[in-house]
Amino acid sequence: MNSIVLLIILSGYLAVLFFIAHWAEKKGNSKWTNNPYVYTLSLAVYCTAWTYYGSIGVAADSGLTYLPIYLGPIIIAPSWILILKKIIRISRVNKISSIADFISLRYGNSRIVGAIVTIICLTGILPYIALQLKAISETFHVVTKTPTRSYILDDTTTYVAIALALFSSYYGTRYLDASEKRKGIVTAVAMESVLKLVFFVIIGIYVTFFIFDGFDDIYQKASLLKHFQEKNTIGGLPQAINWFLLCVLSMFAIFLLPRQFQVSVIENNRENHINTAVWLFPLYLFIFNIFVYPIAWGGNILFDNQQVNSDTYSLLIPQFFDNKFLTVMVFLGGFSAAISMIVVSSIGLSTMVTNNVLIPYNLLGKLRGDDPISNKSIINSRKVGIFSLIILSYLIYRFFGLDYNLVSIGMVAFVIIAQLAPAFFGALYWRRGSRLGAIYSILIGFSICIYTLLVPYAIGLTNSESAFISNGFMGYELLKPFQLFGLNYLQPVPHALFWSLLFNSITYFAVSVSFKGNYRERNYAEMFVDINKYITNHEDAFIWKGTAYRNDIEKVLIRFLGEERTKRAMNIFNVKYNVDKNIELADARLVKFSENLLTGHIGTASARILISSVVKEEKITLPEVLKILEESKENIIINKKLTETSNELKEITAKLQNANESLMIKDKQKDEFLDTVTHELRTPITAIRAASEILHDDDEIPEELKKQFLQNIISESDRLNRLIDKILDLEKFETGKQTINPCQNNLVETVEKSIEPLQQLIKNKGITVHIESKDKINAYYDEDRIVQVVTNLLSNAIKFCPEKEGLISIQIIEKDNFIHTFVHDNGKGINPDDFEAIFEKFYQSTNQNIKKPVGSGLGLAICKQIIEHHKGKIWAQSSVKGACIAFTLPKNRNIEI
Amino acid sequence: MKKRHQQKMIIVSAALLLGLNIPLVLLFDFHQNLLGFPIIYVYIFSIWLFSVVISFLIIKRYNE
Repeated sequence: MNSIVLLIILSGYLAVLFFIAHWAEKKGNSKWTNNPYVYTLSLAVYCTAWTYYGSIGVAADSGLTYLPIYLGPIIIAPSWILILKKIIRISRVNKISSIADFISLRYGNSRIVGAIVTIICLTGILPYIALQLKAISETFHVVTKTPTRSYILDDTTTYVAIALALFSSYYGTRYLDASEKRKGIVTAVAMESVLKLVFFVIIGIYVTFFIFDGFDDIYQKASLLKHFQEKNTIGGLPQAINWFLLCVLSMFAIFLLPRQFQVSVIENNRENHINTAVWLFPLYLFIFNIFVYPIAWGGNILFDNQQVNSDTYSLLIPQFFDNKFLTVMVFLGGFSAAISMIVVSSIGLSTMVTNNVLIPYNLLGKLRGDDPISNKSIINSRKVGIFSLIILSYLIYRFFGLDYNLVSIGMVAFVIIAQLAPAFFGALYWRRGSRLGAIYSILIGFSICIYTLLVPYAIGLTNSESAFISNGFMGYELLKPFQLFGLNYLQPVPHALFWSLLFNSITYFAVSVSFKGNYRERNYAEMFVDINKYITNHEDAFIWKGTAYRNDIEKVLIRFLGEERTKRAMNIFNVKYNVDKNIELADARLVKFSENLLTGHIGTASARILISSVVKEEKITLPEVLKILEESKENIIINKKLTETSNELKEITAKLQNANESLMIKDKQKDEFLDTVTHELRTPITAIRAASEILHDDDEIPEELKKQFLQNIISESDRLNRLIDKILDLEKFETGKQTINPCQNNLVETVEKSIEPLQQLIKNKGITVHIESKDKINAYYDEDRIVQVVTNLLSNAIKFCPEKEGLISIQIIEKDNFIHTFVHDNGKGINPDDFEAIFEKFYQSTNQNIKKPVGSGLGLAICKQIIEHHKGKIWAQSSVKGACIAFTLPKNRNIEI
Repeated sequence: MKKRHQQKMIIVSAALLLGLNIPLVLLFDFHQNLLGFPIIYVYIFSIWLFSVVISFLIIKRYNE
C-alpha cells in the first residue's frame, strides 16, 4: 500500500480521535463520559502494542509465557475493591497527581523521594514508549512494504512520531491543575480500547474461521510443527517458578505503571466505578487473549521456515492473502493501542518531571523571591516535557536500535517499575515504613536491575561473546548478571525481578525498623493507613504547630490559583470548619488545606516548600505526634458516637414535635367545636326563652301574637332537637358506634325519593331540578343514609341557588367500580380554598364579614362520615358556575380500595 | 459494600493466585487437544472466565 494513502488514513483517524476528545471535554460530566464502562475501558490502556503484536510474537516463538502478563492483573482485580479504593481515597483527599506524588507524600512530603520515583519511572517508561513507536514504525513499513530508511529525516514514521508528540502535548496540558480530570483523553482512550479489541477479534476470527477451518484445524496442523509440544506446556517446576514471578510482576505493574496509576486513580470520577471494573476488565483481557494462540500458530503454519518477524503475524496473514482492508484495519488497531499508551504515559511522566523534579529543585525558576515561577512557565514546561519525552523515546528507538522483540523491552520496563512496590504497598498498610527505608530500598533494587538487566541488555542479549555476561563481572562466576549467586534456572526477567525485589524489600523493612522516622512521615503514615477514618475531615489529621498568618498564605495561593479561586477556596474552608474569616492566625487545618490546593498545580513537595516558606513551624517530637494522633483517634471515635446519639435525639425530638403539633391542633379544634356547639345551642334557646318570657310577663298580648310566639317556640325547639340529633349522629359516626346496613339499590330511585319531600321548597324558590342518568344504576349502600346525604346536598344547593332561574342538576355516572354522583347548582359557588374545609364540623365560610348562612354547619360533616363508611369519597370541585359536590359509592359489595 | 463482602473478593483473588500457579497449574501441563486448544489453555481460560463470573455475581448481589 502506498505510504501517502496510509498517512491520509492515519491523519483522518487522528482527527476523529481529536474530535472525540474535544467533544468529551466539552460534554464535561455527561453520562457518556462519566460512567463505569468508560472507566474500565480506559484501564485497558494496559493493552499496548505489546499486547496487540508482541503477545502473538511470544506465543509463536516461545509459547505460553505471554499469558502471565495478564494473569497478574486478573488475579488482583477482585481485590481492587479494597486496595484500589483505598489508593483512590488517599489520592483524592490529598489532590495527588502522580505516583511520585503519592509515594513522596507518604514519606513526609519528601522532595528526594519524589525525584527518585520520577527517575525510576523515566528509566522504565521511556524505552517502553520507544517500544510503541518501534511498533508503529515497523508495522507502518510492513503495511506499506517499504524499508526503514537509515537516515532519520527520510523516514516517514519520524513525522508520524512528531505529529503524535504535538497532539499529546496539546491535549495533555489543558488543565493547569494536574489532579483535575482529563475527560477528553480518557474518553478517547476508552474509544481506542474498543477499537483495538474489536479489530483484534475480527482478525482472530478471520484467521481461525476463514483462513483455517476452526480451532481444531489449527491444532491439527500446528501439532505437526517442530517444538509445538514444548511451546504449549509450561514445562516443569523451574519454568513454573518463572511463571509465578511473571504473575507477580504484572500484578505490581497494574498498580504501579504511571499510566495505570493515571487512569485508574487520578482520572477516577467515582469510587464505585471500580465495582464494574473488577469483573469487566478481566473480561476485556479474556476476549483479547483468546485469539492470540490461533493467530500465532496460524502464522507459524503459514510462515514455517520463513524469516519473518512473528510480532507482525496479524498484519502478515491478511497481507499474505492480499486482503488490504483487513491489513489496514489491524494496523489502525495497533496504532490505537500504541498511541493511547504514548499519550497517557507521556502526560503522566511530564507532570511528574515538572512537579517532582523541576519545580521543587528550582530548575524552572525560584519558588520564592524576586522573579518567581508563574503558572505559564509551568504549563509550558509540561507541554515541552510531553513533546520532548516522545521525541526522546523515538530517538532511543532509532539510535539504540532496540533489537529485541516488543515483549522483552516491555518486561524490562515492568521490572524497573516494580522497584516501587515495597515502598508503595508499605505506604498503604505499614505505619512504620520510613522515608530512609523507601529511598534506600528503591535505590538498591534499581541498582540490581541495572546490573542484571539494563547493562546486559545494553551490551546485547545476542552478544554471546561478552565476557561480562558469560563469565560474570571481573570473571567472578557468582556475579554473572543472568545467574547471580549461581541462580541458574530463572530466565533473565524473572531472575532480575527476584533478586532486585528481594534486596529491595529486605532493605525497606530493615532500614524502616532500625531508624526512627521523622514526625511528619509518621503523621502522613497515619493519614494513609487510616484513610477511612479521616476521609471527610482529613485536614484534622494533619499535625502542625507554629505561627502562620492567613494573609501570607492567601498571597501565595493567589499567585498560583488566582484571586477568584483563592477566595472561593477560603470560603469553602471557612464553612467546612466553621472558622471566622476575620481571624488572622492560620491553624494546622488551613496549612494542610492550602498545601492541598497547591499540590494539584505544583506537586506535593513544592507545595510543602512554598507553604513552609511563609509560615513559621515549630518542631514537634515524634512522641508528641504519636500522642496527638492517639488523642485525635479517640476524639474521632467519641465524636462519631456523639454524632450518632445526637442524630437519634434529633429524630426523636422531631417526632415529639410532630405529635405535639397535632395535639395542639386537635385541642384547638375541640375548643372551637365546643364554642360553636354552645353557640349553636344557645341561639334557639335564647329565642325560646325570649318568646316564653314575653308570654309569661305580659298577659295582654293579642291572641294572634301569642300564637306567633308559641309557633316560634315550637319551631325553635324542633331546631334544637334536630341539632342535638345531628351532633349525636356525628358523634356516633366518629366514635364508630354507628353502623350502616348496605344492600344493592337503584341509586336513581333513591335520588328521586330524596327530591320528593323537597318539591314544595323547590317550587317556592322557582328552581329547576333535572337528573342526568340512565334509568337504573345499581350501587351497594344503605338507602336511608344516602337519602340523608342527597337531601343534605340538595338543601344546600337550594339554599344557595338564586331566587328564580335557580338550576340544580344531578349527574350519576358509572366509572370503573364506582358510581359517581355530582350535584351542581348555579349559586355563588365555593371558594377553592374551602374545598376541604367545608366538610369540617360547624364550618361556615371563613369570611366572617359575609352574613352567616342559615344551617347547622354539621350537614356536610355528616355526609362525609356516611360516604366514608360506604368506602366512597366526597369532595367539592370547581364548576363553570356555582358549586359542585361529588361523591362516589361502590358498585358491588366486594370492592377493594 | 460491606466489609464482609469485600473480603469475599479478597478470597477470590487468593483462590486465583493459587489456581493459576504452582502447584495446581502443573497438573494440566501435558499434551492433549481439547476444543482445539492445548489443555493448559483451556484450564487457564476457564479459571479466568470463572473469576469474571464470580466477581460479577458477588458485586451484583452485595453492592449497595
